[in-house]
Amino acid sequence: MYNWGQYVSGNSIIHRLDPRIKLLSVIVLSILILKADINAGLLLSVFMIAVIFMSRLTFQRVISSLRPFMIFFILLFLLHVLFTDGTPIVRIPFCGLSITHEGFYMGLYITWQFMFLVTGASILTMTTLPSDLISGIEGILKPLRPLGVPTHDIAIMLSLALRFVPTFLGEVDRIKKAQMARGADFKKGNLIKKTKSITSLALPLILSAFRKAEETATAMEGRGYKRGPRTYLRKLHMSSSDYAALVVIAVIIVGIQCMHFLPSA
Amino acid sequence: MIKVENVTFRYDRSGEPVLNRINMTIDEGEYIGIVGPNGCGKTTLVQHLNALLYPADGRVSVDGMNTNDESCVEEVRRRVGMVFQNPDNQIVGMTVEEDIAFGPGNLELPSPEIRQRVDESLARVGLKNHAKRQPHTLSGGEKRLVSIAGILAMKPGYIIFDEPTSYLDPSGRDRILSIIKEINKQGIAIIHITHNMDEIVSAGRIIVMNEGRIVFTGSPKEVFGKVEQMKALKLDIPVATDLAWRLKQRGEDIRTDILTIDEACLEILSRLQSLHAS
Repeated sequence: MYNWGQYVSGNSIIHRLDPRIKLLSVIVLSILILKADINAGLLLSVFMIAVIFMSRLTFQRVISSLRPFMIFFILLFLLHVLFTDGTPIVRIPFCGLSITHEGFYMGLYITWQFMFLVTGASILTMTTLPSDLISGIEGILKPLRPLGVPTHDIAIMLSLALRFVPTFLGEVDRIKKAQMARGADFKKGNLIKKTKSITSLALPLILSAFRKAEETATAMEGRGYKRGPRTYLRKLHMSSSDYAALVVIAVIIVGIQCMHFLPSA
Repeated sequence: MIKVENVTFRYDRSGEPVLNRINMTIDEGEYIGIVGPNGCGKTTLVQHLNALLYPADGRVSVDGMNTNDESCVEEVRRRVGMVFQNPDNQIVGMTVEEDIAFGPGNLELPSPEIRQRVDESLARVGLKNHAKRQPHTLSGGEKRLVSIAGILAMKPGYIIFDEPTSYLDPSGRDRILSIIKEINKQGIAIIHITHNMDEIVSAGRIIVMNEGRIVFTGSPKEVFGKVEQMKALKLDIPVATDLAWRLKQRGEDIRTDILTIDEACLEILSRLQSLHAS
């Protein structure tokens, strides 16, 4: 899971877009796809494929980011296929269920929507440095600041969380090895035994996390951290391609609204 | 100047004081070594110097600013930087350059100024080509350098190093020590906590602590000259001093105010030569 959507360095137009614009676009596209009919869905998909081209990511890489969600997609599909009322195509014996025409198409469509969501999110994370992504999130939340939303603190929290993921993975490995050296076995045994050995991993991990958190907090304080405004190494600024991207998104929104008025095919 | 006056501190109110009536001063540009057995209060003392802890009794002031004064805390922490024992927990940025930018960002400096300070600090610790690396891919020594650069970017007048060479291999250790000396030459005062006496033989002054008190203080020659007292505190003395002292114990007529291996070599050679001559 940790490798999902990891940043792929590059210098494409998508890489260079302002992270706020990219985030906003993903949010807009996600809302549109969830409300979309077949035509709009096709249009959005064509757009997504164009974006993949522009980002110079290989299709293989984008597709592989869907892999961790495969089970979810299959379940989603099966649920719709089996539990939608309509004209039955195939009856499944003994359980009173049947695959319906409507269910089949519904399943395909919903699965497609979710694949679209995941693809959008992974293109975002593959073309945006995590730190830029976080400044993007902070930028998007900025209008909420007058309402008392601590946007600076949220940004610091997110970046600390991301910063410490590899550290904790290393810690898990260390604790695991220390216990294996004393005869623990994490592979053998039934479910109950495995659960127990996971507990013996989790406790020391949580304890060490608290210790680390305290030390890190002290170090941050020592370096002058305080709640409230701070400045950053990189300042986000909009370039002409960012405005162009905004226009493209606006056109898509308007276009999809207009499609509702077209005579349906 | 940092002034510590009559400072007493307890972690819990009814317990034994961890610091007991400490008095000391640190001048601009000084290099001070602090030594003492584990639990003697070294770390607790230095955390008072940049307002991470406040004295229960007595007062600490940095360049005239009282650390108890809420309005000074920010400036005190900028002037007195602290490099912690474990660099892993001190690095908060997702990349090396972002981590170094953390302190200047807290000072709310404009982005171009932060960029300049980051580049400058990276160059000073010799990590120019590692700006974009992620912290977990760095070696132990490199992590330590990043945490030093993060402090340098604040342009402090004093830097505290809490056991800066622990967990490092000899080459990493030498690198850190030479950078600390370099920083000191540029006019920043150093407060260096260590268990390895060889690291601080060139310090201007050494403070020996035990059970929350300063036992004695003086130049390295004065402090390491008190071999019996150091041994009584279960503290090391530099290897060269120990050698000279043991030779003296066996009746050799040899100087014992020796701190480095080079000095010891010279002294032993001249002693041998005078033996041959007679």
